[in-house]
Amino acid sequence: MTEEYEPNIVAFLCNWCSYAGADLAGTSRTHYLPNVKIIRVMCSGRVNPLFIVNALQQGADGVLISGCHPGDCHYLEGNFFARRRFMLMRKLLEHVGVDPGRVNMSWVSASEGAKFKDVVDDVVAKAKEAGPMDQFRRRQINW
Amino acid sequence: MVDEKKLQDKAKETLIRDDVRRLIGWKRSTYGYEAAPAVLTDASQADQLIFDPTCVQNLASFISLEEKKPVARGAEPDTRKIAVMVKGCDSRAIVQQLVEKAYSRDDVVVLGIPCMGVIDRRKAEKLFGETAGQVSAKVDKEKVAVDIEGDVKTVDRKDILMDKCLRCRYPNPLVSDFLLGEEVEKWADDDFADVDDFEKMSPEEKWKHWDEQFSKCIRCYSCKSVCPMCYCVECVVTQLKPQWTRRSTDISENTAYHIQRAWHLAGRCIECMECQRVCPVDIPIMTLNRKMTRDVKEMFDYEPGVDPEGEPMLASYNPQDPEDYIM
Repeated sequence: MTEEYEPNIVAFLCNWCSYAGADLAGTSRTHYLPNVKIIRVMCSGRVNPLFIVNALQQGADGVLISGCHPGDCHYLEGNFFARRRFMLMRKLLEHVGVDPGRVNMSWVSASEGAKFKDVVDDVVAKAKEAGPMDQFRRRQINW
Repeated sequence: MVDEKKLQDKAKETLIRDDVRRLIGWKRSTYGYEAAPAVLTDASQADQLIFDPTCVQNLASFISLEEKKPVARGAEPDTRKIAVMVKGCDSRAIVQQLVEKAYSRDDVVVLGIPCMGVIDRRKAEKLFGETAGQVSAKVDKEKVAVDIEGDVKTVDRKDILMDKCLRCRYPNPLVSDFLLGEEVEKWADDDFADVDDFEKMSPEEKWKHWDEQFSKCIRCYSCKSVCPMCYCVECVVTQLKPQWTRRSTDISENTAYHIQRAWHLAGRCIECMECQRVCPVDIPIMTLNRKMTRDVKEMFDYEPGVDPEGEPMLASYNPQDPEDYIM
């Protein structure tokens, strides 16, 4: 009996667009994969790139950061800062040898429930391809 | 080359000034290939100052270490300046600190020194072995003459100079109040070939490399202590609430530490290579920093430590920034 590998995805969704988009996906009964664990943040600019490192250490196999489309940020420019940060962080993790498919970013607005489903499917597929994250996961979580 | 007599005279002149509290320069160390830093408060001490290719250390790191003592009621705070000697690469650290408003331009007196390259201790030890004698050196356009207790050895520049000097783009200080010595001609350029070579590896090979390197790390934090850009009062890696990295030295925490370090220097690292120089276990830390420098330059067309009027890279944005990976 072999169970299929199911990756853990941590998603940081912005309160104003992507979280509402995920909500819309739910209320319109769109089935999106349950691998994704959602953390609501006020803005994608709130997400510290060290959150990603920390998530990968604590057992996530992939990370998704999602915010408003550029120009639509509730705080006007938060997602522009986030875009720079994660562009770089992704490159850095890639340089260390982490599969680039583990760090994902997307723009999902409040009306794009269907897009959210597609994004999640895509992220899960990439994480499945990359396999379990065992490079620098904490060996002992509780001590 | 820098005339040491002139340098000492200028240092004396600076130390006599009423508005200068202390001067940071280099002096001959008791042994080894690296000169020692000297913190002077009195003009009579200025005779010990030197400058030659053994003066490796980036003295810009010391400026932000200045102790800010609480001021007694009614007393005036000490606002006198700190004078510091800088090479071309070190001056970029000062520029970047000014960009980040770590202190204002009025708080420092910068004595700039045009530099022809400095010695890499590891390369020198490989060539001549470790030494207990005092070392001085001279450098010109082709050769470096190393004088170990009177025993002069001449070697090719590329065999003994630091890697950063072999690709130095800023041999002359970018910011200075006084220039000690004539400006030198730029002799090299940086094509980031080492980063390109590293990128050719597959993710598995990369991780194998870093797994080996990070496993060696003993988390002495020398790299962050010596870094001129790591001047936060409380560093994110040692803070306990929230605790970002645990203190255990296993591969997980070591990797997280090094990613954090490289990340916090993204768009700020001025490539003085101090972190790699002081590493007791020889981790090639600069590989990460150089990757960040290259990418920042490529993607955002930004170079740290060049324009004192500029904005910090991650505190600014361009609506046209690349976003090719975003879904």
